Amino acid sequence: MANPTRVELEPAWVLHTRQYRETSMMLEVFTPGSGRIGLVARGARRPKSPLRALLRPFEPLVISWSGRGDLATLQKAERTGPGVTLRDAGLAAGFYANELLIRLLERRDPHPLLFAHYSALLEELARPERIESGLRNFEIALLRELGFGLNLGYSAQDHAPLDEDQNYEYQLERGVVPVAMEIGGLVFKGSVLLAIDAGNWTELETRRAAKRLLRYTLDYYLEGRELKTRKVYTAMLSSRPSSD
Amino acid sequence: MAYSPLLQDLLEALRCLPGVGPRTAQRMAFRLLEQERDGGRRLIAAMQKALDEIAECGQCRMLSETELCWICSAPRRDASTVCVVESPADVIAVEDSASYNGHYFVLMGRLSPLDGVGPEELGLHLLEARMDSGDVQELIIATSATVEGEATAGYLASLAHQRNIQPTRIAHGVPLGGELEFVDSSTLSLAISGRLSLRED
Ligand SMILES: [Zn+2]
Repeated sequence: MANPTRVELEPAWVLHTRQYRETSMMLEVFTPGSGRIGLVARGARRPKSPLRALLRPFEPLVISWSGRGDLATLQKAERTGPGVTLRDAGLAAGFYANELLIRLLERRDPHPLLFAHYSALLEELARPERIESGLRNFEIALLRELGFGLNLGYSAQDHAPLDEDQNYEYQLERGVVPVAMEIGGLVFKGSVLLAIDAGNWTELETRRAAKRLLRYTLDYYLEGRELKTRKVYTAMLSSRPSSD
Repeated sequence: MAYSPLLQDLLEALRCLPGVGPRTAQRMAFRLLEQERDGGRRLIAAMQKALDEIAECGQCRMLSETELCWICSAPRRDASTVCVVESPADVIAVEDSASYNGHYFVLMGRLSPLDGVGPEELGLHLLEARMDSGDVQELIIATSATVEGEATAGYLASLAHQRNIQPTRIAHGVPLGGELEFVDSSTLSLAISGRLSLRED
């Protein structure tokens, strides 16, 4: 049995909430020092509970909790700032990022750097023109923090820096290796891989390549678990008028 | 436990109701058995009939034992306005406010991507068909003030825009009798961003 813990005033983002019993809530929370944790918020669904307005995704909080084992009890929550207002595609992307964290982070693994990346992502998602690049930066940071970095800057074969005009194949858990010609699959030009590595999203070709490469890599680490938000996201976007 | 098997079954069955814990279940069961056997039989009959006959309205998904619910079939209601709510209880709440005379659409939930609840799960094809019929001029979106409610509202608004139907969202704000200093800051910020201009009459 785990030791009882008590954590005071830790920054936190709520990732997901579920109803729990009559008046309580079950929370998935992301914190820098304790990583992803599960918390019970007792009485949070009572009509007059001040927690109702606070315990929502995308609200910047500091929280205190205590308890032992996998599920601790929320003691206190306060908002630390105005928060971000996400709408439409930005909101859908926020749900997607939350699902990635829930699926890929082990509980109670500290991730202070990833926490900072996630906080930065939410700012980006509030600006429609930054959603896509924000998501790619976050996905890359997430893989790196999990120890699955993409290693795109140099060849996995001889550790030589990439040649801009050479074609490379991306191989899971290895990196990129030079190939003779574009044989389909995950083959990209050196210049594209270097742009992804540098987080330079100005070219459409880079953005397309990064989306393909990251989707493939994330799917591998998700081990066949389908992302629910991806399906809903696609359905939501497909209904949107193109002029909007 | 000191209950007979039949009593035990009854207690467990009662606990499917909201707000009914072990103590309440026991109070209910003893009341039925000691003093309310006739009332209990009426309860069974009413429950049986309701469970067998009440389904969803074919047009708005409100609970109804007729193909069209009493709201959709009321002749004096304005069919050009449709108010979208999350649950049948929300319909009753809006009806009780006596401020609305249009039609409804009940989602029976809200978009919740992390729980896998998407447009399909909410029966939105029914609402889309309704909007495609050309009778609807305004779609009032009355989903909850949660991030899922917000996602649902955004999605519904885009469906309406595509069909040149005016989407509107109910205002969020300060409760009547509420003093500003006790209103949480998110609600207050919504109230300020959705402020109304005051006209001279
Ligand atoms: Zn109806």
